[in-house]
Amino acid sequence: MARVEQTKLQVLRGAVQDNFDILHGIKTRPATETPRPLRHWLWGLLLIAGMAYLATPASVVSIGKASSPSAPAPAPVVTSVRAAGEPDVIVSRPQPLNREVFPLSLKRIVIDPGHGGVQTGAVAESGLTEKEVTLDVALRLRRLLTDAPFEVLLTRDSDKTLALEKRVDFANSNSADLFVSIHVNWMEPRTIRGPETFFVGPTDDPLTMKLVSMENRDSKHSFADLRQALDKIYIDARRNESRTLAKTIQGQLYGFLKQGNAALENRGVKTAPFAVLMGTQMPAILVEVSCLSNSDEVKLLTNGEYREKIALALLEGIRSYANNINGLQRKGT
Amino acid sequence: MEESTDNLCVGIDLGTSRSSISASNGERYVIDSYVGWPVDMVARKLVKKQVLVGREALDNRPMLELRRPLERGIIKEGSRKDEEAVQEILRHLIALVGLKHKSKNRPKVRAVVGVPAEAFRVSKQRLRGVMEGIADSVMLVSEPFAVAYGMEALLHALVIDIGAGTADFCVMQGRYPTEEDQRTLPNAGDSIDEQLSKLVAERYPEAQFTIHMIRAWKEKWSYVGQPQGRVMITTPVKGKATELDITDEMRVACESILPPLTETMLDLLSKVTPDYQENVRNNVILAGGTSLIAGLPEAVQKYLGELGGGRATVVKDPVFAGSDGGLAIARDASPSDWEKLSLV
Repeated sequence: MARVEQTKLQVLRGAVQDNFDILHGIKTRPATETPRPLRHWLWGLLLIAGMAYLATPASVVSIGKASSPSAPAPAPVVTSVRAAGEPDVIVSRPQPLNREVFPLSLKRIVIDPGHGGVQTGAVAESGLTEKEVTLDVALRLRRLLTDAPFEVLLTRDSDKTLALEKRVDFANSNSADLFVSIHVNWMEPRTIRGPETFFVGPTDDPLTMKLVSMENRDSKHSFADLRQALDKIYIDARRNESRTLAKTIQGQLYGFLKQGNAALENRGVKTAPFAVLMGTQMPAILVEVSCLSNSDEVKLLTNGEYREKIALALLEGIRSYANNINGLQRKGT
Repeated sequence: MEESTDNLCVGIDLGTSRSSISASNGERYVIDSYVGWPVDMVARKLVKKQVLVGREALDNRPMLELRRPLERGIIKEGSRKDEEAVQEILRHLIALVGLKHKSKNRPKVRAVVGVPAEAFRVSKQRLRGVMEGIADSVMLVSEPFAVAYGMEALLHALVIDIGAGTADFCVMQGRYPTEEDQRTLPNAGDSIDEQLSKLVAERYPEAQFTIHMIRAWKEKWSYVGQPQGRVMITTPVKGKATELDITDEMRVACESILPPLTETMLDLLSKVTPDYQENVRNNVILAGGTSLIAGLPEAVQKYLGELGGGRATVVKDPVFAGSDGGLAIARDASPSDWEKLSLV
């Protein structure tokens, strides 16, 4: 009898703790915050941009490797695009950011659970919605990142409608160092399953174009806005960081989820002009963690363990990228 | 733990089809999880109420904007109206056990609410939000866990709570169940209704019936395995009341939940430490309204036989097992626990 009472007490304690954790998980951040100094990487970018601007002819905008005594800066590689009846517009190709010259630090991450509120996103036949999966994974990821040496902010931590522009503003105004947007795919044929990760850039893949139009549906950008933003991408060194981040996360995600799920396909790292990736000013990726169009994936997604696995994979991806960045910074200091 | 007139402990099983409440003042009620608002002035005049809940709403449905606000055991997504409907159900349940909303000297309500085993955190947050103003402190627990706690089946037990929206599984191993110990399936009472409706329509294309009639037939004659007799129902065919035989359709529809049910049971059993798998197999507990299907425990037991033997039983009071368990949790939680979970 005493043993039953003891067990009851133990499970009760667990139930209270579980509820307490959920309560804490939904705590909103205080409205006032201690202002943070500008991110190191942003300073780095500004410095590079400034130096490149001064070192090149007026018609060439270039962001290249900054010069250092041991590594002389290569001449900017330029491409010329001419529209009928217009003068040459010379745009430099992006050059990789030399992290050893401009040590970056990763301190604040914005996680963006896709969709929300009236914007359900993709809906599985069972009724499972993209918005609930993305939020659940994001909340798990935030919990897992609690012990990490960086701050984690969510664009939304409840089921609310949030415009794409607001998500971008949130990341920019909070001076985030990384932006990770979580989504769940819907693809035909429905046999397709497997994660894919995007960083900003153009695409001519029809499947990706379809996906982009679905995910950008709530954007208020005009076509001209998108075009301009895309042009800017090429003079933005953050793109290289975004590519590195995308590769790291995709690798971890596929590696984690493939265990016990042999049918999973590695859909790889791709470029696409998602609205949230174009407006953000920091390395940013959009990760499609699974496919709601595939019934086997839906079955897995309804299992909390699987969603935890996704969050863990994202955690490892972020951690691995951060270790690389922060490690290099330590080495340099 | 603390019993005083200043506090009222309640256990609530918020079900897709039916919701029950058990209170520390001894009151217990079950209602249909329907809410209806009069569609116009005429309807309001006839029903004489702003909002109708439960059977009353169902009986007056032609005059109402009727809502069944819970889906798969949680509040339907994306609709403010469904949140309001859930609030109405909760207010109604609390009023049934003797508490008037906003009345003076109202005791503090400490509520334990059962949710599907794998409810998303976001769904729990929404439910907690909906409870504001109705209860003072809220604890959300998985439905099968509430059943297990109420029965003190906390060690080496597998509880399967089969409701309308979901079938929830929970292995009890002497600790608060983690995600690994729990599963939720959408194959439950509602999926049987859909299946039965489809099968009857296929066999009798001219028969006229509604989903409410299908539910009533299922509640009266559902079975798996061998039928006790022919299942004869009366329904209009081209407007004329006609007796139809749906014995086979009823069996096929009810047995449609068995494969996912047994598959999930095996999945959970295989994760139990081998030393205790036999103990768990011998302590399979079925709860929830859908567990009342005739022959279900025998069918589960037959499957357990294929795994090396086992025993499946249906709880004595499937309708109140969840809310009674919730009440037991509410009573045992300490005042400091409730303080931590305060909504105010």
